[in-house]
Amino acid sequence: MAEGSLRHFYGWFTVLGLLVGGLVVLGYYKDEYREWKDYQKKFIHEEMHRAATPQQLATAKRIPVEVRQILLPDLNRVDRCTTCHLAVEDPSYGGYPQPLAYHPLNEQHPPEKFGCTVCHRGQGRATTVADAHGNVPHWDEPMLPLQYIQASCGKCHQAADNPAAPELARGEQVFEESGCRGCHKLGGTGGILGPELDKVGAHRSADWLKKHFLKPAAVSPGSGMPPQKLSEANLEAITLFMLSQTGETAPGYYASMKVIPSAAEGQRLFTQKGCIGCHSVGGKGGDIGPALDDVGLRRAPEWIVRHFRDPQVVSPGTVMPQFGFTETEARALTDFLLHLRDQKVALSLPSFMDQVERGHDVYRKYGCAGCHGQDGKGGVPNPNAKTAQLVPDLIHVADGYTKDELKARILKGQHEINALDPKRPPPPLYMPGWGGTIKDAEVNDLVAYLISLKPKGEDAGF
Amino acid sequence: MSAPLPKRLWQKFERSRVGRSIFRVGLPESNLERSQAMVSSFLLHMQPAKVNRHSLRASYSFGLGLISLYLFLILVGTGVLLMFYYVPSTERAYDTMKDLEFVVSAGLLMRNMHRWAAHLMVLFVLLHLCRVFYTGAYKRPREFNWVLGVGLFLLTLALSFTGYLLPWDQLAFWAITVGTSIASYAPYIGPKLRYLMLGGNVVGQEALIRFYALHVFVLPAVAGLMVAIHLWRVRKDGGLSHPNEPGDVVEQVDLGQLPTNKTYGLMELARGTTLQVGQNPDDEVFSWPHLVFRELLLFLIVMAVVLFLAIFWNAPLEEFANPIHPPNPAKAPWYFLGLQELVSYSAFWGGVVVPGLLVTALLLLPYIDRKRQGVGRWFARERRVAITIFTVCLLAAIAFTVIGTYFRGPNWGWQEPWKRPPPAAEGH
Repeated sequence: MAEGSLRHFYGWFTVLGLLVGGLVVLGYYKDEYREWKDYQKKFIHEEMHRAATPQQLATAKRIPVEVRQILLPDLNRVDRCTTCHLAVEDPSYGGYPQPLAYHPLNEQHPPEKFGCTVCHRGQGRATTVADAHGNVPHWDEPMLPLQYIQASCGKCHQAADNPAAPELARGEQVFEESGCRGCHKLGGTGGILGPELDKVGAHRSADWLKKHFLKPAAVSPGSGMPPQKLSEANLEAITLFMLSQTGETAPGYYASMKVIPSAAEGQRLFTQKGCIGCHSVGGKGGDIGPALDDVGLRRAPEWIVRHFRDPQVVSPGTVMPQFGFTETEARALTDFLLHLRDQKVALSLPSFMDQVERGHDVYRKYGCAGCHGQDGKGGVPNPNAKTAQLVPDLIHVADGYTKDELKARILKGQHEINALDPKRPPPPLYMPGWGGTIKDAEVNDLVAYLISLKPKGEDAGF
Repeated sequence: MSAPLPKRLWQKFERSRVGRSIFRVGLPESNLERSQAMVSSFLLHMQPAKVNRHSLRASYSFGLGLISLYLFLILVGTGVLLMFYYVPSTERAYDTMKDLEFVVSAGLLMRNMHRWAAHLMVLFVLLHLCRVFYTGAYKRPREFNWVLGVGLFLLTLALSFTGYLLPWDQLAFWAITVGTSIASYAPYIGPKLRYLMLGGNVVGQEALIRFYALHVFVLPAVAGLMVAIHLWRVRKDGGLSHPNEPGDVVEQVDLGQLPTNKTYGLMELARGTTLQVGQNPDDEVFSWPHLVFRELLLFLIVMAVVLFLAIFWNAPLEEFANPIHPPNPAKAPWYFLGLQELVSYSAFWGGVVVPGLLVTALLLLPYIDRKRQGVGRWFARERRVAITIFTVCLLAAIAFTVIGTYFRGPNWGWQEPWKRPPPAAEGH
């Protein structure tokens, strides 16, 4: 046994031992160094800088450097955003640059109940800037750009009800007026030519959606969807509305909070509960209860709310039954009644419309305009269709069809569209049959509307 | 010359009351103590007191078996730590991966070590198998140890495959979906086998809990036991194979045939030669320090490599598993991609017959190739037929695996890796 060979071993042990030791230290350092610690130290530094008294200074020095998180078991989320965004609940940090800015509007959506990612998206569990903001490979939900943040309101609230989300309401309006439902289903209503849109906001980015509206085939090869002529503002609005359609459902507590007591919600309840059976508006309706046109002038809002909760409390002996409205519903109905002074609101009640007006609503509801144009004026391209490569307009249907023929045509559809040039691909757009989707009363109203489109003074046999 | 400081400190410790109670023999100074050190320590006694110089030669064994064992131990160690956080639930498994990465101290490092050590273990067990083949070390009396080794190779694949599902991301979900559907191509029992593995017809919670139980308990326990038997047999079969081995080993004589009117010495009851015959004492060195120190050095090397990989490369983690969005193409884990490539030609031949024949041939190899020629030498000329057949099969397996890994694009169509389109700006 030569000592020399042993010394040889010791040399190797030293080298490899140092190597493994060095790697362990390096691994420890990489694990211990986290970028959020820098942000927390800056925050502590800022707090110390602001301290006016020795006590405040001592408090600031004691702020622990640790991961902060908001646990949201009902939403199946853990949001660690506040690990870096430490001052979201401190108004004195208003106007500070990120990550230390204060987050306004905490009253309706307290951070401890809602966290951050449910509205802002991103990756709540992550603790690095890149991963948390979510623009990384293998993460489906990057942060929603702030310009589209109102899309998140639409995950829970009815678009039109939310005074805090005007862009969302406008987006919904553009969606309905552009006739998207003619081909796409949303919430179960719409055509079958295009894909359903219920979850489109969960897996499409704003960029993709915008490109898609302007030139569908560029991002969806083979798409037959006609390019949309949208103003810049409308394009942004409808993109925002699409982003709000994520198909998520809010559980328990969140579902109970989502109805905003708005006039629009009140109008839905008013129609749904059949109030018009006893009360009248604008001279139409029952006469068992008082007319409601000027109820907003006669009664204080609080009185109306209490009346909805329990009529006997404010009008002893009244025959109006107790409907069991919730506080939110009572407030929504009250809001609606207060708005009745406004002529436009009153006239939008279905009971005030004639058949042609209702038919126009049906035309909008099922997105007929998507192919046949606003008010049936046509102009939507359908490449290689024999009808001048356009979807036909509907202005003169009264000349070619009887009411029954028109009704049958709507219900049955026309799947084969004659091609201009049989060698080219067939026209992408066709008339789907709406039977089974549209209600019978709605078809009758729609037919009445379509017949009415013929300009006055034009003769049938010109 | 005085001993180096660490050695002096150690000696001081082991001569203390506590030290003497722990170590039965201190740092050995004489040959007697070197032998005692080996046989009186639980951890060392499974190795001989003296070892053939040939067995120590790195260019003979490359330490491949030992490296595989070390990787197994690293996997057990990191695996137990990962178990403290992992929850085998389809709802929470993926979240625990994220928590390991973002908030658990050294969580990502442990996961990375576990992942890379697992891949390395598949590779090194295969290399070890090749080494044993090319040196003819599976021949008598080591036939059964070869069979155990093939079993351990299959167990390694099973361990890696069951672990692959646990992160519950897209990669895991679709690799297991593809991997288990290969199993379902077996005639008659295939679909039942898949159902048994998954606990259903699709990969879901039942599959996850089954894979988890197999991965953290059943398979490691079986593998641990088989490793112990494998090592036991290495010693009982005469240590590592070497060129000057006796042609045969000692066998017990049938006692019934011997006259009973006399007493027998042990030598009279044995036939053949003992393992020590033909071994020159000059060829042997004491295991302490020559074997033990080399083994410890090898452990440091393996540890350094695994740490290095784990520090600089993160284990993959894709999107949360989504059963309605298959990646195109969906690929099995890399060690099954040769199989998947074969299956793309013919499900029955590629998925059942070829792998079935290969495994059977591997298991029966020592009983088919029985000539004791070329044992203990790499690529012995006398064995060129066997070596050629084995090499062709090995190269074919490698070629199919490389094709499946790098040359298969959407719909399993041919695609050169350098022509792969850049990843789309937006998935789906």
